[in-house]
Amino acid sequence: MTVTDVPLANPSPATARRRGRGIVPVIPALAVVVLVFVIPVLALLLRSVLEPEPGLQNYAAFFGSTTYLKVLGNTFLVAGTVTLATVLLGFPVAWFLAIAPSFWSRLLFAIIILSMWTNLLARTYAWMVLLQRTGIINRTLMDLGLISEPLPLINNLAGVTIGMTYIMLPFMILPLHATIRAIDPAVFQAAALCGASRWQAFTRVMLPLAASGIAAGALMVFVMSLGYFITPALLGGTSNMMLAELIAQLVQSLLDWGLAGAAALVLLVVTLAIYLVQLRFFGFGQARS
Amino acid sequence: MSRTSRALGITALALAAGLAGAAMAQSGSIVFTSWGGTTQDAQKKSWAVPFTKEAGITVKQDGPTDYGKLKAMVESGNVSWDVVDVEADFAAAAAKDGLIEPIDFSIVKRDEIDPRFVTDHAVGSFYYSFVLGFNPASLKGKVPKSWADMFDTKTFPGKRTFYKWSAPGVLEIALLADGVPADKLYPLDLDRAFKKLDSIKKDIVWWGTGAQSQQLLASGEAPIGQFWNGRLFALEQSGEKVGISWEQNLTAADMLVVPKGAKNKEAAMKFIAEATSPEGQASFATDSGYAPVNVKSAALMPKDVAANLPDQHTTSQINLDMGYWAAHRDEIGKRWYAWQAE
Repeated sequence: MTVTDVPLANPSPATARRRGRGIVPVIPALAVVVLVFVIPVLALLLRSVLEPEPGLQNYAAFFGSTTYLKVLGNTFLVAGTVTLATVLLGFPVAWFLAIAPSFWSRLLFAIIILSMWTNLLARTYAWMVLLQRTGIINRTLMDLGLISEPLPLINNLAGVTIGMTYIMLPFMILPLHATIRAIDPAVFQAAALCGASRWQAFTRVMLPLAASGIAAGALMVFVMSLGYFITPALLGGTSNMMLAELIAQLVQSLLDWGLAGAAALVLLVVTLAIYLVQLRFFGFGQARS
Repeated sequence: MSRTSRALGITALALAAGLAGAAMAQSGSIVFTSWGGTTQDAQKKSWAVPFTKEAGITVKQDGPTDYGKLKAMVESGNVSWDVVDVEADFAAAAAKDGLIEPIDFSIVKRDEIDPRFVTDHAVGSFYYSFVLGFNPASLKGKVPKSWADMFDTKTFPGKRTFYKWSAPGVLEIALLADGVPADKLYPLDLDRAFKKLDSIKKDIVWWGTGAQSQQLLASGEAPIGQFWNGRLFALEQSGEKVGISWEQNLTAADMLVVPKGAKNKEAAMKFIAEATSPEGQASFATDSGYAPVNVKSAALMPKDVAANLPDQHTTSQINLDMGYWAAHRDEIGKRWYAWQAE
């Protein structure tokens, strides 16, 4: 009943009606999201305060355990490292895509998109083959005499970072590319005319203009990394476990769904908080551009 | 490939039958869930195919076994699995938690099953040994024998691989390596076991699936480790050079269970009867290298195959204590995963 009140209270009923109609096409998608996502998530979260008995004991257990806090900290460490790496690696690529002749930019785009379309598990296994002690990278380096002992590239933080950076790169490059392409090249000429060095043009013109793209990409990569499961499970070691793995372990092996729900809620709250901070500083529209 | 297409064909037939009459489909098929890989292939060939031929009941294969899924199905009342291959400590815990049906021993012949591997709620699927396996090429002629050698990184350098999940096996190995006599293993001295494991923790690579353990050993990524004997057998069959030490091999069984509320309970019991029959067990053991739980099976097997089974290596064999594990599963599990994550 409050729903019908809203348009009346609105100063411009015509706009409100248009907005109301705009909701209709979204309803099927919304229904699916509610049915297969919101309800199960709520059910799991309810378990976190109801199992094995009503109360907050699961949260007390989560925050009282140095192990679980370490897993939480490690989740941030990995997500942060991967975000930083994708920014550093993705920026030059996005820039190149924006200014390169169309043949090269199309080719590079095709490569990026194709790698995104390839099965995630297959790509992760490919990294296992490359990174393991008897893998191609270590064997080549040893054959060249550059190292005498295999480098520990897998089952540790290095393995997770390498694998996830690769998988997350497109999610950084694509929004960044959109932002950089929208920058009018004339501003760089203007900067040069005003006597800016190349470095100054980059730090004082390019970076501020690309900031919203970096922020959008970073948010996407960071948030996706927080909940990542397959790649850390295969390329990481048990001592740098991430939260998603812990949740899977609690659900599948220990059957402790109360604690799993608590861990899931912690992850959800953290993710939402980061999203809100992003909105506050960059705004929704800008982050999307 | 042909096996897959046959499975698809069977599934299509089952679907057609389902369309023809829902009632028929209900009694006409069951879903069997196991761990995939070479083990489930052998289970399909030795149990499902003959069972379908004799009883006319189609067996759909599913997997891998997932205890979380099993619990979710039972709780929601929508149980799509009829027979599930699980580890023995889980079977014991699941019986306690009311997640599985009692076995109908008017259909399954209890007196033919090795009493170590049958309970009111579960019948052995096969039994295996955890053995020490090594890659002779990577170790350059050095031959590890005892579990203590797994902890000797000076003589046997390189990574060592152990079973990742909290389950009977690794803690026992650590204690045996530390000099605890086999008859004094239980109750497990967890402090001592974890302290021993700490000494090689940075050299451990964990395997989560049998296929992964095979890959780690064959590639030399981990030249030494703890393995299911059947997986080493399969590796040997594929032509790899594999070293095995049976000294203090640790036995445990996989169990067949029926989730509470399974839709085709009677057909499920019949399938278990077939799977644990002397012939079903003999055929599976011949294919997989795991030992039969049916006491009448050994006589039906080729002599050279029977000689390589866990039941031929009983001199220093140790039975993992499932009763102990069922009682302490949660407590050990919590500590195990916390220790791994440290």
